[in-house]
Amino acid sequence: MSDSDLVAKYNYDSFVPDKFRPWLNFAASPPTGRIVGDFPLWNLDETETSLHAVLSGHSYTIVEFGSFT
Amino acid sequence: MDDMAGRLAERDVGSVFLYTHEAHPGEHYPHLTSMEQKFRHARELRDVIGVTRPILVDALDGACHRFFGSQPNMTWIFSGKGTPVYKAEWTDAQSVENAMDYFLNVKARREGRETLVAFRVERTDYRTRDVEAFHKGLERDGPKAVREYREAFGG
Repeated sequence: MSDSDLVAKYNYDSFVPDKFRPWLNFAASPPTGRIVGDFPLWNLDETETSLHAVLSGHSYTIVEFGSFT
Repeated sequence: MDDMAGRLAERDVGSVFLYTHEAHPGEHYPHLTSMEQKFRHARELRDVIGVTRPILVDALDGACHRFFGSQPNMTWIFSGKGTPVYKAEWTDAQSVENAMDYFLNVKARREGRETLVAFRVERTDYRTRDVEAFHKGLERDGPKAVREYREAFGG
């Protein structure tokens, strides 16, 4: 899948099962107890940070994933 | 979740909201096609919904979200070293706070020099299903979001 295809399919334009179900993959998500890789993230002021940079600021960090919709 | 974040902040627990993709794209909040739009939607989450936790924005291809399973509203808790210690396919504040109480107690036990060995556990938690609030959210997204949800689930 090309980068542009991935972006288009991940950001599906309609909530129909064929478009949203393939992304629901919690059963294959990483196990607890093992360090995970890092990912670039952005603050609302559009400055770049990373997952590990955010996590390193506290003993524990709660991360809620979601969106406006 | 915002209230809990405030309570836990003084115990060295961080809380963030990670902006992913539009689960129910509608006329008012359509699917994402650019980072500029993604930042705009994320700012509206803060300004319209009133999320007070720091909001972080994932890449447009959802690299971080996809790595962790792509559920529309899941919550993970990580240690400061980047190790997930709790993962839940849906977000429920009581479940998260219950887990955090446990981990903060573990931290205190470690500080008390208790010898602890990690093990993995699974359990089933329960969340409140606020149908009215969910449908209000769909209406805010636009008529398309309402129609598509009904067509998918008949709700």
